[in-house]
Amino acid sequence: MNTSFLLFALLNPLFALLAAPLYMSLIRKVKAYAQGRKGPRLFQVYYDLKKLMKKEAVYSPTSSWVMRFTPYLNLSTLLVCSLFVPLVFVPEPAGGLGNIIVFLYLLALERFFTALGGLDAGSAFGGMGSSRSMSLAAVIEPTMVISFAALAFVLKSLNLHQMFALTAGKILPISPTLVLVSISLFIILIVETGRLPVDNPATHLELTMINEAMILEQAGKNLALLELAHALKQFLLMGILINTILPVGLSTEIDAGKIAVSAFLFLLKAGLLAIIIGLFESAFAKMRLFRLPAFYVMAFFFSATTILIEVFA
Amino acid sequence: MEIKMNEDIKELLLMVTSIAQEKPELLNARENEIYLKFSETGFIEVYPSLAERKFSLIGLFCAESFEKREGFTLFYAFKQEGMAPVLILVRETGKEKMTTSIAEAFPSASWFEREVRDGFGIEFDGAFDTRRLFLHECYPEDFHPLQKAFKNGPIRQAESPRMEYKFRQVKGEGMYQIPVGPVHAGIIEPGHFRFSVIGEPIFSLEIRLFYKHRGIEKLAEGKSPSECVVLAEAVSGDESMANATGFCTAVEQICGINVPERAERLRAIMLELERINSLLGDLGGMAVDVGFALVASPFHVMREEVFRQNEKLTDSRFLRGITVPGGLKKDIPDSALKELPPFLEKFTRDFESAYNRAISSSSLIDRFATTGVIRKELVSPLNLTGPLARASGCPADIRIDRPYGAYKDFAPQNSLRKNGDVLARYEVKADEVRASIALILRLTENLPKGPVFAESAGYAGNNSSGNISGATGYSLALVEAPRGQSLHWVYLKNGLVDRYKVRTASFCNWQAIEHAVLGNIVPDFPLINKSLNLSYAGTDL
Repeated sequence: MNTSFLLFALLNPLFALLAAPLYMSLIRKVKAYAQGRKGPRLFQVYYDLKKLMKKEAVYSPTSSWVMRFTPYLNLSTLLVCSLFVPLVFVPEPAGGLGNIIVFLYLLALERFFTALGGLDAGSAFGGMGSSRSMSLAAVIEPTMVISFAALAFVLKSLNLHQMFALTAGKILPISPTLVLVSISLFIILIVETGRLPVDNPATHLELTMINEAMILEQAGKNLALLELAHALKQFLLMGILINTILPVGLSTEIDAGKIAVSAFLFLLKAGLLAIIIGLFESAFAKMRLFRLPAFYVMAFFFSATTILIEVFA
Repeated sequence: MEIKMNEDIKELLLMVTSIAQEKPELLNARENEIYLKFSETGFIEVYPSLAERKFSLIGLFCAESFEKREGFTLFYAFKQEGMAPVLILVRETGKEKMTTSIAEAFPSASWFEREVRDGFGIEFDGAFDTRRLFLHECYPEDFHPLQKAFKNGPIRQAESPRMEYKFRQVKGEGMYQIPVGPVHAGIIEPGHFRFSVIGEPIFSLEIRLFYKHRGIEKLAEGKSPSECVVLAEAVSGDESMANATGFCTAVEQICGINVPERAERLRAIMLELERINSLLGDLGGMAVDVGFALVASPFHVMREEVFRQNEKLTDSRFLRGITVPGGLKKDIPDSALKELPPFLEKFTRDFESAYNRAISSSSLIDRFATTGVIRKELVSPLNLTGPLARASGCPADIRIDRPYGAYKDFAPQNSLRKNGDVLARYEVKADEVRASIALILRLTENLPKGPVFAESAGYAGNNSSGNISGATGYSLALVEAPRGQSLHWVYLKNGLVDRYKVRTASFCNWQAIEHAVLGNIVPDFPLINKSLNLSYAGTDL
């Protein structure tokens, strides 16, 4: 452990945790504007989280420790994940942190426990959400593996820190194939955060839900933790995409000024991406449940193409 | 009493008498309605042939101490598609609270019979479904609120429910049930849906409604017709105007009141505005249910604009408080009416651009097409009406088949689709918005001046004079509400309502959903439900 890494371990998760809810709000705001509404305040998600933190958690009598444990596990998993994705600056390599395979497994762990939590309360909707989430996971996970493999192939490392050390400071992506990988990463971002056309985060229709159904029975502080974990997950996936396609400004040195610029630029880039996500969500109706694999296949296609190009070019 | 009959009615009478061995007793006939009474054996002989001749059972209702009879009288209203006359077979049960079910020949009778059983305590022998309908378990046994012996007031709830409401059980490997509602996550009305599914495909759905019974029919008893209009308006919020018109038409038919032409035209204008309003809600709502808020929002904006226009015309966003038996309570000023054509012109432009945006989106079409098909064969047995019937290839529209009021001279353009899926319903609804706009423009043109209230009716405020006060009689009115055919039967006794029966389109249309969802997947259910636009309040009086 060196000072560079200690500083990173302190700054990066803190930055992610504080900034992540903002982009949940921003996407809602963009969607509202697209529909001709004013939408909620930009800091509404923070207010909601604060309110939820004060409320008591209510548990169904059939629930076990799983439901109580899941929110804590999810948030801590995502906080560990936040050590893998450099947002403010790229630290010197340390241990296994940044390993892309560990990162994917951490996400899988989070998904697994969310699904268990959905089943635990014994409500029909939770079970339905978990069942849908797990069957779709069986399709999206290979796609994610291929996409991250393509990323690793282009950036010649299995470690996210090393990958982004390579791209850091560049204005444009270092290889044109990264554009293709970015499309895959964007689709993964949409799928993993349960956005349209995969899942509608704004719906009240229990029967159509996937992600929301699994946390329908959670309340109070537990719900706040789950929402925060969800925002964090979105923020980190946005981070991977931004560092891949638009790495401009990402610092590799420990310098207060550069880190500040890097963080500020990241907030701006994430804002831009949030606007794109908001517009993307507005442009489609939700897909039929059984058509979703076709959407995932697009991500698979772009990643596989990347690998082919890299191998033969 | 001499009974006048027009040609259609005579033809119908001839047909019915040719089926039966015995000659029925002709109780009453009016333009487009005829009341016949057979003996019990005659009735049992006649009704199966009516089913063969493609008659639909559009209503079944009961009245206690009807005219000079003792006990209970049942009225079976039959209508052929596309024909104006309504054949009403009168059946007496007398003091015996027992009769036979006709649900085998007319499936729509099942809910009607259960409704009569709950309300009056008449048992239908041979019925395939004998569960309670609008009285849930908490109501005590032998409680039948529509019997005259029951006086409106608080009731003691049953401490231990007599029996559990048993849902249909579908058994098999991997089959499981999803109970949904009556409390939902959104701000919607209460209803319980019991799905039996294997994975996502739906094998069976059973609905249970009637969580918001208000006792409207009981409340109407003993009220004067002008007081009763308020109840008719409360039946279903976005069908206030249609139901008020239905009630008033029935009263006007009983009393022989001729509504002034201006009032009839204005009523039709308001009915069409209400229809536009309801249809806009559907067009937007269906897009919302597939998560396409961008496409939905212009429809919601336009709906609000129509609400505001309603308010300008009548001081009520829901067009309430203006209809009375005999015409309208007050005239609509010409200055407000003059605003309508330019408003509709702009509205049409907005509507076309919003609709084009919706219908040109492939992702929306993908969700709508082939989803929630209602086959044409279901339309007549279940008495399905309104846009959903017209989207399934059945052109039924009361405004055309059995015109009332200004529709006698102003027929709307009919819209028809054959596929019966959500997309067909979406297209029909859009067509009907256009047809309503065209109709309003025709109605406002050369609008005659003059009174809006028939003096012969006697002013609503003072019941002292006029035809309504002291009138005795009964009549049936059908109106085409935004959701379809709405039936109103009024029995006046000495100028007061003795029995008021409303059967909105939703009461029958609800039963279509159990068929429409079969083979679809669970996440498509909310869309199918929204495309049928069924009213909970209109079903549960």
